[in-house]
Amino acid sequence: MKLKNGFITHNVGKTQMMVATGAASTAFHGLVRSNETAAFIVNCLKQETTEQKIVEAMLKEYDAPAEVIARDVHSVVEKLQGIGALE
Amino acid sequence: MTEFTVKLADIPVRIRAIRPEMRQFLQEYLTEEEAELTIETRQEDIDRERVMSARTRAAEGLSEFRPGDAYLETLAVYRKLAEALVERDVLLFHGSVVAVDGEAYLFTAKSGTGKSTHTRLWRQAFGDRALMINDDKPLLHVGEDGVRAYGTPWNGKHHLGGNCSAPLKALCILERDKENHVERVSPEDAFPRMLQQCYLPEDGEKVEKILALLERMSQCVKLYRLGCNMEPEAALVSYQGMQEEA
Repeated sequence: MKLKNGFITHNVGKTQMMVATGAASTAFHGLVRSNETAAFIVNCLKQETTEQKIVEAMLKEYDAPAEVIARDVHSVVEKLQGIGALE
Repeated sequence: MTEFTVKLADIPVRIRAIRPEMRQFLQEYLTEEEAELTIETRQEDIDRERVMSARTRAAEGLSEFRPGDAYLETLAVYRKLAEALVERDVLLFHGSVVAVDGEAYLFTAKSGTGKSTHTRLWRQAFGDRALMINDDKPLLHVGEDGVRAYGTPWNGKHHLGGNCSAPLKALCILERDKENHVERVSPEDAFPRMLQQCYLPEDGEKVEKILALLERMSQCVKLYRLGCNMEPEAALVSYQGMQEEA
């Protein structure tokens, strides 16, 4: 899975802002605000990946138990799927 | 078909329009200078505005309204202008801008919140010290070390503002409240509202540029949130609250 074309991000301070442009903007009009960890997950999704691969990448970066990270990744992925941002 | 050059946000722009009313609409901005870019409208642009305008009104639950081609062409021209001016670090923003003692204050909020009412209170409170720049859709040039707000003929239903400009001292997100109060807000908190009130083209590259300009603006202009009622005191509270030093 991967972030659909047309979703673009920009960091303002420690918050990542994501909006939909072009064709993607007809389905999603809002703004996604992500904290540092959620932004890490969003950035992983800019290339084709899987939840498992994202969890592995996060384990290298963050000092947290694997099950907590897996739960966080799943929750962010679900939210992005909910707004139609993934393909 | 009519053709002329106007200067908007300090940039001379050639306008090629269909309706003769367009020249009258932009009269205050005519210039003899050589144009740096050209905006041309076609009938299909006007037709597209008609469809979009009807859709927006339906979405907002407003009654059906059949605008004429001349009005729709002003919308089409502004849309094209906004898209072209992004490359020159200029944004089309939704808000009411008033300058006091030569420094501009931009009040932004959803339509119907009371931006125009609030800047009217400022004009009443400050008299000759206040200059109305634009009551609805100003242009903002986002430079390296500051933002400048420019008047445009797209200045709201009361046609307030003129061909003038001033450095932008503060951007203020306006909300209605019983009591008047004003607080500083962080760029992170203000950003979503700024994005919402800024014209966004469909083109992703332009949107990326706009996000970067908005971020630059959030760094070099002071950002506030104002809760206000419609009493004259609201103008004094908001002005005083925005006078603090850096």
